[in-house]
Amino acid sequence: MTGAIGSLLVVLAVLLGACSGAGRVRPSGSSPGGTVRLYTSVTQDTVDAVLSVFADAHPEIAVETFRAPTGELDARIASERRAGRVGGDVLWGTDPLSVQAYAADGLLARWTPDEAGAVPAAYRADRFWGTRILNMVIVAGEAVEPMPLDWSDLTAAAYAGRVAIPDPGFAGSAFGALGYFATSPAFGMTYYRDLEANGAVQVQAIPEVLTDVAEGAYAAGMTLDKVARDAIGQGSPVRLVWPASGAIAIYSPIAVFTDAGNPDAARVFANFVLGTAAQQAIAGTGWQPIRDDVTGGPPIDGPQVAPDWNALFQQQDRLLEEYRSIFGG
Amino acid sequence: MPEARGRWRFAGWLLLAGALVTLVAWPLLRLLLEGLDAGPGRLVDAVGAVGLAAVGNSLWTSALATLAAVGAGLGLALLTERGTGSARRWLRLAILVPLLVPDFVTAISWGRAYGPAGLTARLVGWDLPGLYGPAGIVLVLSVAAVPLAYLVIAAGIRVRAEPDLERAARASGATPFTAFRTVTLPLLAPVLVAAAGLVFVTSMNAFGTPAVLGRPAGFGTMTTRIYQDLAFSSADVAFLRVVGLALLLVVLGTAVVAVIDRATPSPERGGGPAGTPPTASSAPWPAMVIAWAGVALTVVLPLLALLLTALTRAVGLPPLPENLTLANFGRALDAAAIVGLRNSAVLATAAATIAVLLALLGTSLAGRRRRLLGTAVTLTFALPGSVLAVAVLLAFGATLRDTLAIILLAYLAKLWALGQRPLAAAADRVPGDLLRAARASGAGASATAWTIAIPLLAPVLAAGWLLVFVFALHEVTISALLYGPGTATLAVVILNLQQLGDPLVTSALAVILTALVAVASAALLILRRPGWSWVSLP
Repeated sequence: MTGAIGSLLVVLAVLLGACSGAGRVRPSGSSPGGTVRLYTSVTQDTVDAVLSVFADAHPEIAVETFRAPTGELDARIASERRAGRVGGDVLWGTDPLSVQAYAADGLLARWTPDEAGAVPAAYRADRFWGTRILNMVIVAGEAVEPMPLDWSDLTAAAYAGRVAIPDPGFAGSAFGALGYFATSPAFGMTYYRDLEANGAVQVQAIPEVLTDVAEGAYAAGMTLDKVARDAIGQGSPVRLVWPASGAIAIYSPIAVFTDAGNPDAARVFANFVLGTAAQQAIAGTGWQPIRDDVTGGPPIDGPQVAPDWNALFQQQDRLLEEYRSIFGG
Repeated sequence: MPEARGRWRFAGWLLLAGALVTLVAWPLLRLLLEGLDAGPGRLVDAVGAVGLAAVGNSLWTSALATLAAVGAGLGLALLTERGTGSARRWLRLAILVPLLVPDFVTAISWGRAYGPAGLTARLVGWDLPGLYGPAGIVLVLSVAAVPLAYLVIAAGIRVRAEPDLERAARASGATPFTAFRTVTLPLLAPVLVAAAGLVFVTSMNAFGTPAVLGRPAGFGTMTTRIYQDLAFSSADVAFLRVVGLALLLVVLGTAVVAVIDRATPSPERGGGPAGTPPTASSAPWPAMVIAWAGVALTVVLPLLALLLTALTRAVGLPPLPENLTLANFGRALDAAAIVGLRNSAVLATAAATIAVLLALLGTSLAGRRRRLLGTAVTLTFALPGSVLAVAVLLAFGATLRDTLAIILLAYLAKLWALGQRPLAAAADRVPGDLLRAARASGAGASATAWTIAIPLLAPVLAAGWLLVFVFALHEVTISALLYGPGTATLAVVILNLQQLGDPLVTSALAVILTALVAVASAALLILRRPGWSWVSLP
């Protein structure tokens, strides 16, 4: 049995060593290296596309990703704060409202990207910078009659009980849309009350809305342009309706954590996402890049609207609470 | 030389004791201390109405699933064990198929088959009402548990039910039903209790099924509540509720195991004469038809629906030949899935290797201590993955949080028994003469082990390794609670995808995982064809 004991000792030591080695090598010298921990809620295809060009440009920096929907990412960061400190280096969120809440709590470092000028003023703050734009649009079943044309149509009797909306507590883009509707003079929270009164149903995620509409469980719903476009490209029996009054444009900001264990490499990564190579990769996945000097993005088929994000900051909790009082929870 | 051997033996002991403390004693103690620290008053407050509702939901769904699974298991066991023939052999294999499918994949596949936009809705315009909700949870829990109940009852019928007595009753004029009620059923009662206990504990511990089917209806059980509170909430009260529910699950689980233990007769009292071996007789065909229809509807059709979804070009299209594609498999294997696949493979390999080595070490211990070890590791196997995950997180979270190592520790705590039990049983059958002969011919302890014991035990070691590997490969309860950046397992990736609601990619990845599990299990079956009742009965 001695052989067994010996080999067991060796295997235990090697495996535990290999498994626990987070390998966060401190950068030495001038060029940052080591590992960057990316906390993100942006879609996996976007992360994949950017990481693949980043690996080519910066082989010295490894990126470890934790990707989860906004609600779950929020919970993770909150529990890490309780335990001591946030373990991430870079935060790449879906919508400005969720990310600004962290800035307000002092979790994000002040930082100016190398190419700050390339990010339009409406899509940035002093601690976080837009990386791409999501367009919240209407998706409807191919055979739906009449076809909805604008947001206000979804509260009409023709769609009673046949509309699905995503959960703002789960999906950051739905939270952004909530911010727009709540502060727009044309809609206000009354819009959600009317939706609810018309039998609209809250599901969880953006792709779930699309699936439910495509499979005929609902006639129409709120979803993102690229999600709808992808499904149509594959042959799904749905239509993308660009709302006449405008698609809601929501930007996905990137930021560096105050507590970043590897801040230099974190800034290299964040800078890179705003650079042309990463922006082209984002455009290639079908999302709208933040830089207007990058082409190849998706078609913008109508007007885009957005709330005054700065005016909405600090109101996140109130917004969600009011929404919950309508759609429960 | 003897001195050196003593040192090795001591080192082995130390290692084993260390593993036991690290994997089992310390985490559970840490959980208990956390509860004591909060105090019963605050724990009860924290569990509150939300927690109590979850406890109630767990209890009643598990109870119903137990009734259904034991009933079906009994019927099937009577059908396959009362007679021989190839029809029965095939049915026996078919009944065990659900063991090859991870439970959350079964739940997803039922959604694709019987859900509002599922296969039957498309084909005949019928969907199963209440699938997403408690009724669906009970159904899928039962389906997943039928093989367990069946294995226990079939084994019991082989050793306990005495066909001679039944024939005597029939000869004395009893109707088949009376003979069954007054002779067979009382003889099988302890076996049925054991099967019920096993199914009940398994259903209480289930996480994948309620996570997939309960969420859309807002229906939570104890395990999904723990997951919600740990992964989606940051409030202190939610964490206290996790501790409270985990402690409650320990108490409930231990109580049920104790009941089974008292109800099950010890082996000495058990085996009477096995009676006349069953004769070859043709199975009653209506029963066979019902059994096969059950297998087809509960297992085959859902898996077929899952596969069709994975092959469908776009969501919302009917699964007709012109709409089929392999593209979803390519889309499914994105960077996150590849990392998940790698993590699952690393974890399963490491867990299987270490568990088998620990079992080997444990088996070299003498008599009473070995039995004690067996009891300790079996106890942790009976504990829900959620509880072990919370306990391990409390014990090692400060240093190992978000590493694969912390997931590995919880896996080992859970799966050690799977390596230990079969090996311990087999070691008892290694002929002592052979060992003594080797030692007498001058072989040292190590040489004896490597030349005699290990070759004899090799098939069992391989089987134990595969068993742990298969379980770890599709484990989701523990990994969903413990994963962090870069350490999600394939099962966690699938569960997260499922929550996003894209059925095509989710199904494609679920098919890939199921195929991997099936391949590993097939290897296991080939290795352990005769007498594999311990496969699910550690």
